[in-house]
Amino acid sequence: MRRLLAILAAAAAAGAAALWVATMPRGLPREVLAAWPEGDAGRGEAVFWAGGCESCHAAKGAKGEDRLKLGGGLVLATPFGDFVVPNISNHPEDGIGGWSAGDFADAMLRGVSPEGRHYYPAFPYASYARMEPQDIADLRAFLATLPAVEGRQPGHDLGFPFNLRRGLGLWKLAFLSDTPAVTLDAADPAVARGQYLVEGPGHCGECHTPRNLAGASDFSRWLAGAPAAEGEGRVPNITPGGDLGAWSAGDIEYYLETGFTPDFDTVGGAMVAVQENMAMLEPGERAAIAAYLQAVPAQK
Amino acid sequence: MKSLAIAIAAAAVAALPALGAEDPIAVRQALMDNNGTAAGVAGAVMKGELAYSPVVGKAVIYAVSATAAAYGDYFPEGSEDAARSNASPKIWQDMAGFEAELAKFQEAAAKAREIAGKDGPADADAFKAAMGPIFDSCKTCHESYRLEN
Repeated sequence: MRRLLAILAAAAAAGAAALWVATMPRGLPREVLAAWPEGDAGRGEAVFWAGGCESCHAAKGAKGEDRLKLGGGLVLATPFGDFVVPNISNHPEDGIGGWSAGDFADAMLRGVSPEGRHYYPAFPYASYARMEPQDIADLRAFLATLPAVEGRQPGHDLGFPFNLRRGLGLWKLAFLSDTPAVTLDAADPAVARGQYLVEGPGHCGECHTPRNLAGASDFSRWLAGAPAAEGEGRVPNITPGGDLGAWSAGDIEYYLETGFTPDFDTVGGAMVAVQENMAMLEPGERAAIAAYLQAVPAQK
Repeated sequence: MKSLAIAIAAAAVAALPALGAEDPIAVRQALMDNNGTAAGVAGAVMKGELAYSPVVGKAVIYAVSATAAAYGDYFPEGSEDAARSNASPKIWQDMAGFEAELAKFQEAAAKAREIAGKDGPADADAFKAAMGPIFDSCKTCHESYRLEN
């Protein structure tokens, strides 16, 4: 009996140790970082608008040049608790000005901070994990050209057990992957480009796809609409089976460019900032997004 | 034909206050439907799908102005009803902010009426210039104070 207990205790300890190791924050492999591409700030600007960094990291309702001041501070009130958006301006201490290219890549693709801690997926790295290294490098180069904003933001205010960051290691094992959200047979290059933009940098699914109990996207309901993460209201279904069912590809492009629906209703809510970012893209990019949204499986 | 529809909708707006005391949600929704119909006509002109004439431009501007003048009167305390209404609770939490948006809308509508004059904006470009600030006010208000987007 005593021996059995000892074996069980040893097994439990081994299991706990394995779990501890499995949930450790891990950045990109060394050989990947060794071959990391040089960034180009000029190209990075388009990645910045596609990624919509300022929708969360600039001050709420910021217009014009203020959209490039990424001091953070917005509070995202969610069922898990309050997430405080950090300063990602180019400030060397308060922002990310002191980060290396590798630090930035680990944050974007693996959700790991330079200090080796897990980020919460309120920072949408579950989408950014699908991005190309070149785009990450270019984005980093562009961010380095933006103003330094003083002031560190306070930490998140989360309830138990969500305040245990180590648990995110398990979350990542279950949900973090660079595989596409949906499989499309279309060989159309516009659809493929749209898939990259929507599922990767654009992180559209983060709001438009419902989440499971663990807060991860439910891929069986991809872009089917969801309750708004903060507060009341719903984020619309943007598949061909939903609110956009009667829209043409041209209607979607026009909406992303101007903010007008086919009936000339205007964009509203959190989508205003997103639409203003989409308006900054090359027209072909908006056409690709429209082509993809018309190709995804229809959801009711 | 479309301007006739607007005239009818505007007449319907004039008849609304009687209903307002009992059901402010129904009134403000009817007002915004009317406004949306006018915006749809403006959009068709802006996209070149509908030939412009000054009388169409004037009808749109006057229909929108009627909404601007009346809309704010139908948000009494306690008329927040998520089941029926897309009005965000922020309207009542931040009434001053909502009223500032309304004032922007009214100001844009008043300027558009000046541009319209007696006969309506002379051409499609003048009409677009008059409508631009009105559409901007739609968007900024919807950004903060509408739930479903």
